[in-house]
Amino acid sequence: MTRVQVDASDRKAPVIRFGDYSVRLRRRTAAAIGGTLLVLLAIAFWAASTGSFAMGFDRLWAALTMNGTTADEFIVWTVRLPRLVTGICVGACLGLAGVLFQTLSRNPLGSPDILGLTQGATTGALLSLILLGGSLATTSAFAALGALGTGLTIYLLTRGGDPSGYRLVLVGIGVAAILAGINGYLLTRTNTIDAFRAVYWLTGDLSGRDWDQAGAVAAVLAAGTIATCILVRGLDALRLGDATATALGVKVNGVQVAALITASVVTAGGVAVAGPLAFVALAAPHIAARLTGSSRSFLCAALVGALIVTAADAAAIVGIGERQLPTGVVTGVVGGIYLMWLLVTQRKKGVMP
Amino acid sequence: MTDSLSPLAARNATLGYGRVAISEGLDVDIPEGEFTVILGPNACGKSTLLKALARMLKPSAGQVLLDGKDIHSQPTRAVARRLGLLPQSPIAPDGITVADLVARGRYPHQGILRQWSAEDEKVVAEAMAATDVTELASRGVDELSGGQRQRVWIAMVLAQQTPLLLLDEPTTYLDITHQIEVLDLCAKLHREGQTLVAVLHDLNQAARYATHLIAMRDGAIVAEGAPVEILTAATVEKIFDLPCRIIDDPETGTPLVIPRAGPRDL
Repeated sequence: MTRVQVDASDRKAPVIRFGDYSVRLRRRTAAAIGGTLLVLLAIAFWAASTGSFAMGFDRLWAALTMNGTTADEFIVWTVRLPRLVTGICVGACLGLAGVLFQTLSRNPLGSPDILGLTQGATTGALLSLILLGGSLATTSAFAALGALGTGLTIYLLTRGGDPSGYRLVLVGIGVAAILAGINGYLLTRTNTIDAFRAVYWLTGDLSGRDWDQAGAVAAVLAAGTIATCILVRGLDALRLGDATATALGVKVNGVQVAALITASVVTAGGVAVAGPLAFVALAAPHIAARLTGSSRSFLCAALVGALIVTAADAAAIVGIGERQLPTGVVTGVVGGIYLMWLLVTQRKKGVMP
Repeated sequence: MTDSLSPLAARNATLGYGRVAISEGLDVDIPEGEFTVILGPNACGKSTLLKALARMLKPSAGQVLLDGKDIHSQPTRAVARRLGLLPQSPIAPDGITVADLVARGRYPHQGILRQWSAEDEKVVAEAMAATDVTELASRGVDELSGGQRQRVWIAMVLAQQTPLLLLDEPTTYLDITHQIEVLDLCAKLHREGQTLVAVLHDLNQAARYATHLIAMRDGAIVAEGAPVEILTAATVEKIFDLPCRIIDDPETGTPLVIPRAGPRDL
């Protein structure tokens, strides 16, 4: 009978061993993940109890445990929880996409916004809105196809060469520029009403999301998380450069292609449901790197993404001057302020940029 | 065509980038237990050969054999347990510590659920001790001097525990003291039984440290053998177009290449 052993000889990263199996836990990473999770839960609880139909924590708890009034239970279970779950999963998808693209491109600015996936999703959404009069479901589907199509295009254009580093970034920027042009053209061809809806979609929003959408994006997130868990060791080795990674026995091309696909799928899932929420994918990995003191935590980046979107959505619900805002307006501000704060407070610690 | 004598060999290999062939029909044997140095003028194909031996570059014709079998047909992790490579300019992730970087060398011995065995711990400690970087363990790699950093990278490759070790220009960008430091470390590893292959630029260093030389020019191997046999005035002139004299290194007795004085110097 094997016992679980904890080897704490390395104080910063104790090892948990079970027979032949061993897992290494960095204390600071574990603390950052735990802390982010706690703050995320606190904000989620607060967001679920506030809004235009405010209820206290006791009423929220009663509704959650199915002991509340019919009205409370309806509000919590059909309006607020689906929106919360959607927001958390969308944020986690975008955070994961960001850290995958940054690792893959070895570039701190590599994100779906820079590489054109967001623009591709927008093209899909605009086509749906203009050509099909776009319900939420069709628009989501078209946006997902747009993002996936862009990911595929980038893959095909970088194939044969090195699908990482500068090549990936340059191809992505080129694709993004072309798509931005197409999007501009599409917007000029619309009537005022469609253009207004399009701009609203372009801002990104979580209002009115139901369990179907929450379930869809949760499934995408689960698939992305499993894929990332399998790829994470290879991606970690890729940070040492392709030559060293190959020498260490990583199937470099296979890992890069699989990571590109995973990143495209989670981007598509997130953007399809919520629209291109600004800044989340870019900021989440940097914030996670500063919290954990290492750029290696994919889980923390996903959690930070979830936290940014949830906090932004809570702020959007409360609104400014009693007026609700689209979520996308707030994500940029919330993520930006948090990143600035971290940059200023940690300036002297010499953690990675 | 297989032969059991050398653990790593190229057979009739054509090497190049895209359609440009650098070497054609190359046959090379890396002798076991030797410190082999590949030398030659710039663009002679020595780094290309090293890349091919390390399976970074697939021959467009012919084969590279590891233990008698085509290196590209073997599982990449299995190859990584036999053969380690220190590339010319490896990338250290920002903010990584020495201990973390050396630990990356354990990759081919680990798995998703086997992240850090007691063996890993022991091997990493030994690799850091062998390269004299134990005291630097918790320092950031980007704070180190060039020589210290190179020793850390060698520690990472050592942690990979491979009987074969390939080093692509390990002394380039280092000052003379650090060059000697790195080469002394290589010599120590060689004495301990490691098979080493390195690309070097300095003929006199190659003569002093190598036990086997491979001299290349224009993608072909011009001479091969012990430094005393290879480093003659005639061969050096053939390889580098450099008129020279060879004297005995007063320190080690190995060949010392002295370029002839040109008209300008007289």
